[in-house]
Amino acid sequence: MDEKTLKNIIEEVMKEMAVVGATAPAGKPAGRSAETPSTSLVITETGTAARGTNPREIVIGLAAAFGGRQTQTIIGLPHDQVVKEICAGIEEEGLSYRFIRLFRTADVGFIAHEAAKLSGSGIGIGIQSRGTTVIHQKDLPPLSNLELFSQSPLIDLETFRAIGKNAAKYAKGESPSPVPVRNDQMARPKYQAIAALLHIKETQLLDPNKKTQELRVEYR
Amino acid sequence: MRSKRFEALDARPVNQDGYVTEWSEVGLIAMNGPNDPKPSIRVEGGKVVELDGKQRADFDMIDSFIADYAIRLDNAEAVCKMDSLELARKLVDINVPRSEVVKLTTSMTPAKITEVVGKMTVLEMMMAVAKMRARLTPANQCHVTNLKDNPVQIAADAAEASLRGFAEEETTVGIGRYAPFNAMAIMVGAQVGRPGILTQCAVEEATELNLGMRGFTAYAETVSVYGTEAVFMDGDDTPWSKAFLASCYASRGLKMRFTSGTGSEVQMGYAEGKSMLYLEARCIYITKGAGSQGIQNGSVSCVGVPAAVPGGIRAILAENLIAMALDLECASSNDQTFTHSDLRRVARSLMQFVPGTDFICSGYSATPNYDNMFAGSNWDADDYDDWLIIQRDLKIDGGLVPVLEVDVVAARNKAARALQAVFKNLGLTEITDAEVEAATYARGSQDMPARNVVEDLKSAEDMMKRGTTGVDIAKALIKGGFEDVADAVFGMLKQRVAGDYLHTSAILTRNFEVISAVNQPNDYRGPMTGYQISDEKWAILQDIRQAISPESI
Amino acid sequence: MDQEQLIRQIMAEVMANLGKDSVAFQKKSPAAGGAIGKDQYPLGEKMPEKVFSATGKKLSDFSLDKLKSGELTAEDFRIAPETLEMQAQVAESVDRDSLARNMRRAAELIAVPDDQLLSIYNSLRPYRSTKAELYGIADELETKYKCKVNAAFIREAADVYEKRGRLKAE
Repeated sequence: MDEKTLKNIIEEVMKEMAVVGATAPAGKPAGRSAETPSTSLVITETGTAARGTNPREIVIGLAAAFGGRQTQTIIGLPHDQVVKEICAGIEEEGLSYRFIRLFRTADVGFIAHEAAKLSGSGIGIGIQSRGTTVIHQKDLPPLSNLELFSQSPLIDLETFRAIGKNAAKYAKGESPSPVPVRNDQMARPKYQAIAALLHIKETQLLDPNKKTQELRVEYR
Repeated sequence: MRSKRFEALDARPVNQDGYVTEWSEVGLIAMNGPNDPKPSIRVEGGKVVELDGKQRADFDMIDSFIADYAIRLDNAEAVCKMDSLELARKLVDINVPRSEVVKLTTSMTPAKITEVVGKMTVLEMMMAVAKMRARLTPANQCHVTNLKDNPVQIAADAAEASLRGFAEEETTVGIGRYAPFNAMAIMVGAQVGRPGILTQCAVEEATELNLGMRGFTAYAETVSVYGTEAVFMDGDDTPWSKAFLASCYASRGLKMRFTSGTGSEVQMGYAEGKSMLYLEARCIYITKGAGSQGIQNGSVSCVGVPAAVPGGIRAILAENLIAMALDLECASSNDQTFTHSDLRRVARSLMQFVPGTDFICSGYSATPNYDNMFAGSNWDADDYDDWLIIQRDLKIDGGLVPVLEVDVVAARNKAARALQAVFKNLGLTEITDAEVEAATYARGSQDMPARNVVEDLKSAEDMMKRGTTGVDIAKALIKGGFEDVADAVFGMLKQRVAGDYLHTSAILTRNFEVISAVNQPNDYRGPMTGYQISDEKWAILQDIRQAISPESI
Repeated sequence: MDQEQLIRQIMAEVMANLGKDSVAFQKKSPAAGGAIGKDQYPLGEKMPEKVFSATGKKLSDFSLDKLKSGELTAEDFRIAPETLEMQAQVAESVDRDSLARNMRRAAELIAVPDDQLLSIYNSLRPYRSTKAELYGIADELETKYKCKVNAAFIREAADVYEKRGRLKAE
């Protein structure tokens, strides 16, 4: 990530800090909107999310800023394409999906677990704006999981599709081969500080009193 | 036109790392934060009514826990009023013994101890670490993992790591459901290399406890605590649940330490505008209050955050020092990649390597980093000779010893065969001779044949349902003709009956003698005191295979 | 008066105050005699004939042959409350009071089955239990397993969770 992008993100966070009343550090004027790539996603809240009864559905839980205040993952994959790939993976297995958004937490384990609990199949996917993703099952402890993709800089579109596909396979009662785990020991030095900034930004949108919302997801 | 000098500099590894400027409002500041509370404590009727500027009515969960459990109260008000600079000097002064310092530090509040170490340079902190480390003899810990969760490779790598001198070995998983196999493999492999090595498997809390109860592991470390209440909630725990967990481990005779580190609160988005070190101090006090014998800290997996801000590596040393000053075992990190630069990663490690800590690395990767499932360590298997030669250059004991290729190959082979026998006799998935052969000579998982993951996961699940225990593993080893390895597994299981290794900084010798801060406390008081490398040990450390003797020419 | 005598005398007084004339101590517990400290440590090396497993087997009698023959089972590799009490005294002898407290809480929990311990731990996690549920757990620990200290600890947790809004929504 280059310095300009970093500055943009910092400014964006700063702007929100200013909104919530915190003081901006001297010498860094807040208020200018950062340039972010456009996304074709249009996400609308349609009311409190309910538990599904369809055993052939996957619930996809989005973190607070996904497809809204943030529009791309940490490596710049546009959120609309991420969503399309996950959905395509689920559809390939002949299952359906629906979306929810959590406001109580931005932790990906909890998001995925909430999605799993609301899912008619008991299988859910949780995804943070930076791209960190979990496949979860309702009977597991929240911070356990079926599959965890913790290194957001390593998740490409192909992996997102495979995640959707495997989630659907779990829902059908199959035991799929887990999506191959990837590892890059240099992801942390390069991305961790930026990942922290993106996460701070996500948590600033949380509202502990707001119930999980059902979402309508459309493409412009 | 670009300066060729700057073009060359831009291409250097150090410029691939991410850096950010300080931003104290969101806690993106290493230490000496402008919003950190001023130290204060008021005790009435044996109860803390004010802590670090907060009245009891305003305490959050963490404040309450620290106030009620973590501070020695009889002298707390007086120590809080003492000059922090004077206290910092006592930490460094070789004429003030460790026991006297501990009386003071364990009476401090989190803000006070943060202020005290904030007065010290890294050199002074290193002096203090040499004195304040709990156990006399320093040691080291490694990670044994691989990208494919291949248990045969884990067993072989664990055996080699034991031979190389690590006192503790830790595995984890790429896929959570592999945990039972990985735990079993690291235990069997480690005992082949050298009896008495403690092994653990870092997974979700409840699963980790379950593995320990069954005798698949000897200790646990991934008992994470956090410095703000909001982050604690995202970590799905509270100080009370974690303290209860600590007791659960002890009730089964299992060693356990907590884990925390600077940067986790910023990383998880709720630092409340406090410096990373102040929040980490709160974690260390929670650890102390819960009655854990020790802690793994030094930013650990969040190291990219402090490393990106000014003074971050200093803060990491400071948090290790606070843990030691609170009389806790300290496994001092140096376990996770934070830089592309070889110079930076060595400089960061010298802070603990030179003075010595209970575990200098709480995860030196015993595999090449591409196989390290903690997302890469600051040191890996390809650095083994660098580490050994730095020990030899500086005459310091960093916990490792030179080994011969022939011994390593033999130990790897035996470990793989021992695990093959265990799998066979417990009715698990097959380990083929080809896999044993590959693991014997492998550098990493790229040299290993693929296993049937779906079958392995099913087999592991069935085994857990059957209620297989460490005793069954020992019996399977005996049946397979590995009676000596079975005897070592038995020796590990016996430890949990005596409970001696529940004490601060405990490790085991190859004869299962316990060495801890109780029977071997650090008594450093300046030159020629404390831990001294014996002539015998020095002969071992200098005997590297690369050295040419004058007689040979 | 030596230390052991002193402790016995104090114990007698305490018991008298409690209105009881006798109290049953398990004979296998050397801890009841007091005076375990860092000089006895490591207990497994210095006094294995006085360390017993939770099933009552003597540590110095443990051998691989007995494991092989099935005389020793997984259950035998569990620490006894008396051993943890001795280890707590060792910890106190080197000024590690909070470690000793943890060992004493742990001594109480030895009697609680594995599954139940795991389930209590999960109940103590945030938003998992109502106040009544946590108090219920505390009562059960106290009455069924004599876990006095742990019961008080869990009730305290319940009160803190209530104050901080960390209980399960009813």
